[in-house]
Amino acid sequence: RGLWKEARLPRVDPYGFERPKDFDYVSYEEFFSRYLVILTRRAIKWSKLLKGNNRIQKSLKVKRYIRKGIPNEHRALIWMIVSGAQANMEQNPGYYNKLLEGEKSDTLVEAIKTDMNRTFPDNVQFRKTANPCLQQTLYNVLVAYGHHNKTVGYCQGMNFIAGYLILITKNEEESFWLLDALIGRILPDYYSPAMMGLKTDQEVLGELVRKKVPAVADLMDRHGVMWTLIVSRWFICLFIDILPVETVLRIWDCIFYEGSKIIFRVALALIKQHQAFILEATNLPDICDKFKQITRGTFVTECHTFMQKIFTEPGSLSMATVNKLRETCRAKLVAQGSTNNI
Amino acid sequence: MLVGDSGVGKTCLLVRFKDGAFLAGSFISTVGIDFRVSIWHCLMVSCLCPFQIWDTAGQERFRSVTHAYYRDAHALLLLYDVTNRASFDNIQAWLTEIHEYAQQDVVLMLLGNKVDSTQDRVVKREDGEKLAKEYGVPFMETSAKSGLNVDLAFTAIAKELKHRSMKLPNEPKFKLHDYVKKEVRGSGCCRS
Repeated sequence: RGLWKEARLPRVDPYGFERPKDFDYVSYEEFFSRYLVILTRRAIKWSKLLKGNNRIQKSLKVKRYIRKGIPNEHRALIWMIVSGAQANMEQNPGYYNKLLEGEKSDTLVEAIKTDMNRTFPDNVQFRKTANPCLQQTLYNVLVAYGHHNKTVGYCQGMNFIAGYLILITKNEEESFWLLDALIGRILPDYYSPAMMGLKTDQEVLGELVRKKVPAVADLMDRHGVMWTLIVSRWFICLFIDILPVETVLRIWDCIFYEGSKIIFRVALALIKQHQAFILEATNLPDICDKFKQITRGTFVTECHTFMQKIFTEPGSLSMATVNKLRETCRAKLVAQGSTNNI
Repeated sequence: MLVGDSGVGKTCLLVRFKDGAFLAGSFISTVGIDFRVSIWHCLMVSCLCPFQIWDTAGQERFRSVTHAYYRDAHALLLLYDVTNRASFDNIQAWLTEIHEYAQQDVVLMLLGNKVDSTQDRVVKREDGEKLAKEYGVPFMETSAKSGLNVDLAFTAIAKELKHRSMKLPNEPKFKLHDYVKKEVRGSGCCRS
């Protein structure tokens, strides 16, 4: 069954990830042939937009283009420009290398080393036997970043994010500056030791779900499920290893341009789309399982439709709303923290 | 719930127990609480209620995210890596944390993992025993790679939990410490 199709779609995807054993080649091939048409159309539009001078400025048109997906050949460049990473890199020549040559903290290096073999063991480019082996590149980026941003240092999850950046840019220094754009500017403080940004955003999502999908919020309350259990990994890993690679990259396109509220859009779209399915859950393990299942299947694989859905399904979500919620949720957490002595 | 420093082998231990397999280098670092919740019906313990096993991230900063879940845990398996001195030295900090956040009567067990790596061992078995005795915690050495004592660790906990929940007046009290002492195997035998 579908043998000829398996022959056409390689066992390893274009980024080096081995497709899982139960990968549905037939339906993926069917999706991809449709997506290829879109990709081609977008590629033509983008090359017209860039007109060979590789320069863009933020505009409604660019925002629309980005929501429809950045072609892979331009992805690294556009991420670099819209995130401000390019400007930072140009303003600080030699800075990255200086970090690498500087003195290293033993505990930081140790923590990073522990995760080297545990970052994408399913990606052929990260294998010890690969040539070039991206483990060394990953190590360099993380060690440099840990010394650049000493408050954050190294937090698990950053290994996956840096790994993706390396796969897309194929450039160590650019990966470093993009990581800095994400952690230092675009995302709230998810990765610092107190993880306040993460704890806050988990609460913010809870509030948004209560407003937009109240039945699911009730279900969570009834079974005493804290959102951290479901979404800490979604947020920390920016959906890596949760959603399919292509979908994650499309989400990141928008995060680099529009910021961290996109994360809520993705989470809300997933939850709203599968509301009835989630509500079938009758106990905590069931709820956990349902939330795992909604991150798989055609809804998330068909990345182009999925990206349209994240902007329609959850309804309006302004940065002002998100910021206001963040403020109140953070204040609540701080108040709790001072009484609980956390 | 499985707890312990980053990289001591919590996920490997859970997968070894669940699937009977050890897949070297096939796991990614666990981030946050992985609700890799395994439902387990223990055959040794005739009990209708299944057990949920939770895997957690070991990195220190995640503890403030995960310790909210300690209070709901009935049992904690606290792991260190016998080839990593720091992971053993951190056990005291883990115990302090557990005492602070977990239920008073939580079932606790200390496991020294990776005993298959005899050449790299830096924490002696006696050190683990001594520390466990000091804190009155049952202890055993395990290997997710060879499978040594893995089933035993989970089964012993299941037995203890069942006895606690049943509170059978006629049955002699189950003694986790004694059970573990009787059943535990040394790393000298059955190495892979």
